[in-house]
Amino acid sequence: MTQVLRCDHLWKAFGDLQAVADISFTIDRGETYGLLGPNGAGKTTSISMVAGLLPPDAGEVFVAGERMHPRATTAKAAVGLVPQEVAIYPDLSARENLRFFGRLYALPQKELDARIDAVLEVIGLTDRASDRAGEYSGGMKRRLNIGIGLLHEPELLILDEPTVGVDPQSRNAILESVESLATDGLAVLYTTHYMEEAERLCDRIAIVDKGRMAAEGTRRELVATIGEQDLVRLDVAGDAPQAAAAIRQLDDLGSVDVEDQAVVCLLDGAAQRLPRLLGAVAEIGVAVMGVEVREPDLEDVFLHLTGAALRD
Amino acid sequence: MRAALTILGKDLRLRSRDRSMLLFAVVVPLGLTVLFSFVFPDTEDLELTAGVVDEDGGEVASAFVDGVLPALVDDGLLTLVDVDDAKDARRQVEDGELDATWIVPEGFSGAVAAGETAELEVLVAAGAGIAGEVARGVADGFVTELEQITLAVAVDAQARGGAPSPERIEALAAASQQRSDVIAVEDLVTGGEDQLDNISYLAAGMASFFVFFVVGTGVIGMLEERSQGTMPRLLAAPIPPGAIQLGKSLGSLIVGLASMAVLAVASSLLLGADWGHPAGVAMLISALVLAAMGVMALVGTFARTVEQAENFQSIVAIILGLFGGAFFPIPGEGWLIEVATAASPHGWFLQGLSELVASGELAAVLPATVAILVVAVVTAVPAVVLQRRGLA
Ligand SMILES: Nc1ncnc2c1ncn2[C@@H]1O[C@H](COP(=O)(O)OP(=O)(O)O)[C@@H](O)[C@H]1O
Ligand SMILES: [Mg+2]
Repeated sequence: MTQVLRCDHLWKAFGDLQAVADISFTIDRGETYGLLGPNGAGKTTSISMVAGLLPPDAGEVFVAGERMHPRATTAKAAVGLVPQEVAIYPDLSARENLRFFGRLYALPQKELDARIDAVLEVIGLTDRASDRAGEYSGGMKRRLNIGIGLLHEPELLILDEPTVGVDPQSRNAILESVESLATDGLAVLYTTHYMEEAERLCDRIAIVDKGRMAAEGTRRELVATIGEQDLVRLDVAGDAPQAAAAIRQLDDLGSVDVEDQAVVCLLDGAAQRLPRLLGAVAEIGVAVMGVEVREPDLEDVFLHLTGAALRD
Repeated sequence: MRAALTILGKDLRLRSRDRSMLLFAVVVPLGLTVLFSFVFPDTEDLELTAGVVDEDGGEVASAFVDGVLPALVDDGLLTLVDVDDAKDARRQVEDGELDATWIVPEGFSGAVAAGETAELEVLVAAGAGIAGEVARGVADGFVTELEQITLAVAVDAQARGGAPSPERIEALAAASQQRSDVIAVEDLVTGGEDQLDNISYLAAGMASFFVFFVVGTGVIGMLEERSQGTMPRLLAAPIPPGAIQLGKSLGSLIVGLASMAVLAVASSLLLGADWGHPAGVAMLISALVLAAMGVMALVGTFARTVEQAENFQSIVAIILGLFGGAFFPIPGEGWLIEVATAASPHGWFLQGLSELVASGELAAVLPATVAILVVAVVTAVPAVVLQRRGLA
C-alpha cells in the first residue's frame, strides 16, 4: 500500500480556543478515512491544514511525500478540495466554473476539455452544463462542488461534510459516487457528523471531539472498544439523571449515560439483567416509557468516549 | 502570473455580465453630466439683459453707467435695454422682460464724496438665476471698488484738513471709471479663465466620482470570494497566494481605466466636452484610477463583509468627491477646506485638467499627477500589507 497522506501531531488555536489538538493519522491509496465528530469538533480546521489553507501552529502534513504548507504548489496539485460550503461562481455555468478551476491547476487545454466532459458526465450535469450555476438546485450545486474537486484527478480527495442540507435522493447519489471513487484508487478524507455515513463509507474512522482524536480504527474496532457488551436504552418519563444514578448503584455495569430523556447502559447479558434495571428505576418512582436492547453502534461509542451525544 | 491572468479573465467575464457595472461605469456618469449641465448652465453662453436708471446724474453714477456697463456690453455679456424710469424698469423686471435693473439712487455721488455709505440698488427678476447673480455681482464689485477709493480720498482729505474739493471728487470719479474694468466681472461670470468649460468640468467630475465605485468592487474581491465560499478553493489551488491579489487588482485597473476612457471620449463626442491634451488626460486618468484603487482597497480592509466594505467605500468616495469638487467647485475658504481639497484625488484631478486646458502644455499636469500618485502609494501599500495578513 502507498501512503498518500500523513498528518503528524497537528495543533491549531484561534486565540484562546484550541480548535485542533494533536491530531495524527495517515491515509493510503484506495482508502476512505473519516473524521467523525459534532459541529465545532475541529474537522474543518484539520482539513484546512491538510489542504494547505492554514499553517498549523505545530505539526506537519505530507501529501504524496511532499510537505504541505500555504505556498506548496506541488503538494497542493495532488489534493482535490470540496469545501463544506458550496464554492462555485453562481454567475458562471458549470462548464465555465470547471474551466476556471481547471486552469488554476494548469491543465493543458486539450486535456482540460476532455476532463470537463468526463466530470460533467460523472456528476450528471452534462445536459445543464451551459446554464448559470446559480439556477441549479441545491443537489446539483453540491454535485458541481464535488466535480470541481475531482477535475484535476487528485491523489487525495477531501470532502468536508458534502451531504449537509441535501435531500435524501441527492445524498444517496453523492455517497454512491464517493464509494466508487475509492474503488478507483483515490485516497479520500471524509468529514461528517452523520454516524451512518461514516459507517457506510469509511474504511477507518477517527472520532474527534473538542479538537482531539478520542479514538481511531475500523468500525468494528471502535465498537469493540466498548467490549462485547449489549446496549440497553431506557426511555423514561421522569428525571433521567436520577434514574441513571439509581442504575449506577447496581454493580457490574459497563457505563451509564444520560441522553435527553433516556438512560443508555452498556452491560453483559442484557436479557438476564433487564428486570433488575427496570426494578431499580421503578423503585425511585420514574416511569419507563420504552426499552431497547441492541448491539452498540458508533453513536454509542461516541457517547461512551465523550459522555455527549454526537448530534445536539 | 499565469494564475493571476486566469483570475483576471474570470473576474472580467463576471463583470461583463453585471449590468450594474455598465450602469455605474458609463451610463450614470454621462446621464448626470447632461442633467447637471442644465442645472448649472454654461456661463459662456450666459447673457444678461438689463436696464439701468440713473436718478443721481452725478460723476460717480456716470462712471458706472458710462464706464462699467458699456465695457460689459463690449464683452458680449450684457444687453443693455433702455428704460424710462425706475417705475418702468421695475415693471419690465417683474414681467420678466429684463433679467435685472440697476438703479443709481439720487444723492449717490454725493454720498460717495462725503465718505458715507452709498447703495446701488439692483432689481432681479424671479427666474433670472445665474443672470441675476451676475447683476448683483456687478453692483457689488463696483461699490467695493468705490469704497476703497473713497477711503483713500477720505484719508487724503483728513490729512489736508477739510472737505474734498470739487476737483477731488472729479479725480475720484475718474479713478473709479478707470478702474471699473478691473472689477472682476469676468471671474464672476466664467469662474476664471484658466478653467475647464462647464460641460468638461462636469463630465470629468462625474467620471472621477464614479470611478471610485467602479474599482471599489474589484479591490474588495477577496472579501467577495470569501463570502461566496470560493476563497478556500482559490487558496487550495497550486498557485502563489499573491496571484489572487494581483489578478483582482489588474481587473480593477482595467475596468477603471476603461470606464474613464469611455467617459472622456463619449463626453467629448456627444456633449462637446474638451478634457485637454490626450496624453495629459491619460496620465491624470491613470494616476486617478490607481489612487481610487488604493483608497478603496484600504477602506475595504476595515470591513468584515462585502456590504460593510461597500458602505465604508461609499462614504469615503462621496466625501472625497465632494471636497474635491467632483459635483461643483467647493465654495468658501478656510484651512479645513484647503486640507480636505488637498487630500482629495478628485480635486487634484480636476485641477490638473484645468491647468492642462489653460496652459495647453503637457507638463502642467505633473504636479497634480504626482499628488494623486502620492495618494495612491500612501493608501495602496498599507492595503496590500493588511490584505496579506488577512490571507494567512
Ligand atoms: N477562523 C476562525 N477563527 C476563530 N475560530 C474559529 C475559526 N475557524 C474555526 N474556529 C473555531 O474552531 C472550532 C472548530 O471549528 P471547525 O474546525 O470549523 O469545526 P467543525 O468543522 O468540526 O464543525 C470551532 O469552535 C470554531 O468556532
Ligand atoms: Mg466544519
